[in-house]
Amino acid sequence: MPILDISGLRKSYGATEVLRGVDLQVRAGELVCVIGPSGSGKSTMLCCCNLLETPTGGTIFANGHEVTSPLVNINRLRQEVGMVFQQFNLYPHLSALDNVALALRQVQRRSRDEAASLARAALEQVGLGGKAGSYPSELSGGQQQRVGIARAVALKPQVILFDEPTSALDPELVEDVLNVMRDLRTRGMTMLVVTHEMAFAHAAADRVVFMDGGVVVEQGTPAEVFENPREARTRSFLARYGSRLS
Amino acid sequence: MTAGDSGFLFTFFNPAVAKQYAPDIAAGMLVTVGVGLAVVVTGTLLGLALAVARALGRRALAWPIVAFADIMRSLPPLVVLIVLYFGLPSLGLPLSAFAVTWLSLTLVLAAYAEESIWAGIRAVPDGQLEAARSTGMRWWQAMRWVVLPQALSRAVPPLTNRIISITKNTALGSVVALNEILNNAQGASSHAGNPTPLMMAAFAYLVVFLPLVVFSRWLEQHWQRR
Repeated sequence: MPILDISGLRKSYGATEVLRGVDLQVRAGELVCVIGPSGSGKSTMLCCCNLLETPTGGTIFANGHEVTSPLVNINRLRQEVGMVFQQFNLYPHLSALDNVALALRQVQRRSRDEAASLARAALEQVGLGGKAGSYPSELSGGQQQRVGIARAVALKPQVILFDEPTSALDPELVEDVLNVMRDLRTRGMTMLVVTHEMAFAHAAADRVVFMDGGVVVEQGTPAEVFENPREARTRSFLARYGSRLS
Repeated sequence: MTAGDSGFLFTFFNPAVAKQYAPDIAAGMLVTVGVGLAVVVTGTLLGLALAVARALGRRALAWPIVAFADIMRSLPPLVVLIVLYFGLPSLGLPLSAFAVTWLSLTLVLAAYAEESIWAGIRAVPDGQLEAARSTGMRWWQAMRWVVLPQALSRAVPPLTNRIISITKNTALGSVVALNEILNNAQGASSHAGNPTPLMMAAFAYLVVFLPLVVFSRWLEQHWQRR
């Protein structure tokens, strides 16, 4: 059974239909990268998976729970489906440790000490054990995003959604974040990643999904999608991004 | 020392008069501080509650709040005070001078506090609430732990200034015979036929409000760190 099972997903804003029936499965331990042009609905699709956006049609199952059911417990669902944001969205008034510990305390109702030690472990995992007391403004973009990943990881989700996690970073900081994601994959974390990092998708993904115009146009192994794309739209998209492949 | 100098001192800083009416002024200070504290607490809390309610994003809730804030900010506090003092009894709700002064200034402060805190909430990027919600926090938890701390720290400078200027309006209570500093001083000075109690009142206001002004400066500098 897939951890994430999206079928026929639709989302409209007024008369504009952004998602026109997306079908996508992510199995346990898989790293799936979603690529595609801006405005293709990638981020909207991601936000539907933890109900930051409300789908207008179709179904999503996360870890066997129906996300799209009106009876879903949103706050329990969101602990199983973590999210990492393009703009990091760290809480600027809290230290790195408290950024990670906040939901452990307020949502999972853990004690101060327990939350702090779990948060510390999550920061260690992303290589920021020494920055627990630092505030976001004192961290580089790459470090901030790693704290963002630690915040998601600490809740022990079944799957983490990454919304263009490196798009807001200076090029020299991108690799730090990607390395943390590679490390998560080797630890067996299930990840759905919207990205423009073609080289990362090519090298690290188990599966690559190409979206355009609100639908999945084609998907397959990185070798299939990047080296032997079946669809013309995929080919023309990759031709434009080809220089980033090397 | 010329005769003019001693006449000035006799008129405005008369020790005998000062001694006689010091207890009245002191009693007035207690009332001023009492009303002032009550107004700060209830006005700020009401303003906070209104701003949070407005942040819920329900038009049916936001519209009356905006109307309340705009009306209260348009009316001179003295007018609010007089309208309530003379209007409430006809609604079968006669309140003491203390209660009416407290209620009027609470409503005025709440209106300004709501606007300052709402502006602070609006200035917090949407991504903050989204990030908090994405970790499973409920709306009010995200509000309490993520949005409000940032909104309030932005709202502190305008809010402290507003708090001071509105609590100073406790002097308006003299109009409805609230026995606060100014009212007692006016009574004393007409009783004594000497303005010394008014000078004492000015001094008493400094004693009460100068520390508050200094404290607000300190607060602005030390709470705006991040």
